[in-house]
Amino acid sequence: MTLAPDRPGRFGLRDRLGRRSADGSTPAAVYGAVRPVIVFRDVEMTYPGGKVALRDVDLTIREGEFVFLVGPSGAGKSTLLRLLIRDEVATNGQVLVDGVDLARLRRREVPRVRRRIGTIFQDFKLLPSRPVWDNVAFALEVTGAPRKTIAPAVDRVLALVGLTAQARQQPAQLSGGEQQRTAIARALVHDPRLIIADEPTGNLDPLISWEIIQLLLRINELGVTVIMATHDAEVVTALRRRVVALEDGRVVRDELGAAYHRED
Amino acid sequence: MIPFVAFSLKRAWQGFWRNSLMSLAATATMIFMLLLLSGFWIVQSGLTAGLQYVEQKVQVVAYMQETATQPQVDAALAQVNAMPDVKSAEYVSKDEALVRFRESLAARNQPDLTGSLDSNPLPASIEVYLVNPSQFASVVAVLQAAPGVDRVENIQQLVERVTTVTTVIRTAGIVILILVGFTVFFIIVNTIRLAVTSRAEEIEIMRLVGASDAFIRWPFIFEGALVGLLGAIVTLGILALIAAPLSSLMMGFFSVLPLEFGSLVRDVAVLVLGTGLGLGVVGSYVSVRSYLIR
Repeated sequence: MTLAPDRPGRFGLRDRLGRRSADGSTPAAVYGAVRPVIVFRDVEMTYPGGKVALRDVDLTIREGEFVFLVGPSGAGKSTLLRLLIRDEVATNGQVLVDGVDLARLRRREVPRVRRRIGTIFQDFKLLPSRPVWDNVAFALEVTGAPRKTIAPAVDRVLALVGLTAQARQQPAQLSGGEQQRTAIARALVHDPRLIIADEPTGNLDPLISWEIIQLLLRINELGVTVIMATHDAEVVTALRRRVVALEDGRVVRDELGAAYHRED
Repeated sequence: MIPFVAFSLKRAWQGFWRNSLMSLAATATMIFMLLLLSGFWIVQSGLTAGLQYVEQKVQVVAYMQETATQPQVDAALAQVNAMPDVKSAEYVSKDEALVRFRESLAARNQPDLTGSLDSNPLPASIEVYLVNPSQFASVVAVLQAAPGVDRVENIQQLVERVTTVTTVIRTAGIVILILVGFTVFFIIVNTIRLAVTSRAEEIEIMRLVGASDAFIRWPFIFEGALVGLLGAIVTLGILALIAAPLSSLMMGFFSVLPLEFGSLVRDVAVLVLGTGLGLGVVGSYVSVRSYLIR
């Protein structure tokens, strides 16, 4: 399969992936040639204590996609994301990131995989006692990056998220949107191929939420795969991207160019 | 390697001061616990020294026959001196015995009537000091068999009483010291655990951005070592300040200084530094570990 060349529109992966396919074919049929970044095969996740968080999850996400993960609280969205950063390991089935089977990963190899993934959370997870610049640099420092490469990388991502002027401020002095942009800068600073966002706009008002979404879209345009769990129906429906809906730990819908709620 | 150590040390230093309230609370706890531990240690060594002093007072005395010759005395002395349980042995002649007797009378302010005697009635004797008083029997046996010895004083009851008392006190001292040691251990480790727990989010962020375990662990271990070192230094400072009044107190309490004061100072310094550093490091290691193993 090749990317549909006759599709109207601008250049870039985003446009091709972002639209509902005219013939109603499955996502795989539309862009089967693009490398998968994330593959879930028959994944089941049972927490100690017996709570089943995910069952029979089969999911392929390809490079450059922007995927919304929707569903009620407790449907398994966060568990799915936590499997991706190997914060949890699936009870059954396979989770592959960039072709690497996370269950087979040795402990010491886990950090290397995490460095290829940028994570963004609802509660920002910034270090409160350090200025914006340090919060971003921190992500590189703890990976043992040479000092010389840290400063230019931090300056570059701060410019990208529009926080150059706030670099010396403490997180507490920033607005919620600015704090989330700091977190995004931190997620981006080691050039990840994949961004995982767990309800990144959950704590923000609608206007600021749009700002954050725009930023994520721009990052996606740069070729970074984005998977974002959200409850924000307005955003999801307006953007018409791929939507994966979870309910009770199962994927109940996987549609391209879809709305937040089922439309048919 | 060197950049990694430098990075960890820098982060440890920053971590200590950024969370100064927690760090200083941990250091203060460390100081109190180290003072407690060294206090008990000092009391325990004073006690041990005192007991040793008491035990060494126990002596085996062999009274010589009036007819005993100097070669016989020398032979008996040489024989007991060769025994491993004997600390020292000394010959007390009849004249010396009389001098001692007079001195003891004078010390008790009793009238000296010995002048009215026409001859010295006190026997010459061999006094044997023991390394370990419970080993008196073999010395007694040797002396009893030695030619020229009249009789050996029976000290069995005395030895039994002394060793019973000293053993009880010694055991109690060790038990108390061990209990204090455990208390100190758990309180210090727990305090450090609390300090690490207050930074659980920082550890989580480090994990999420892909920090290796070593990059997360070592700054905390160095920080624990810093708390331990600082606590130990302050503790030793406090002990140095109170050393003079303390030693006079011990002099009064045990009527004896620990036999080697120099070695006590060295022991306490090693104890305080070792415990502070060791528990700081162990506490951090254990606490961070629980966040890394997932």
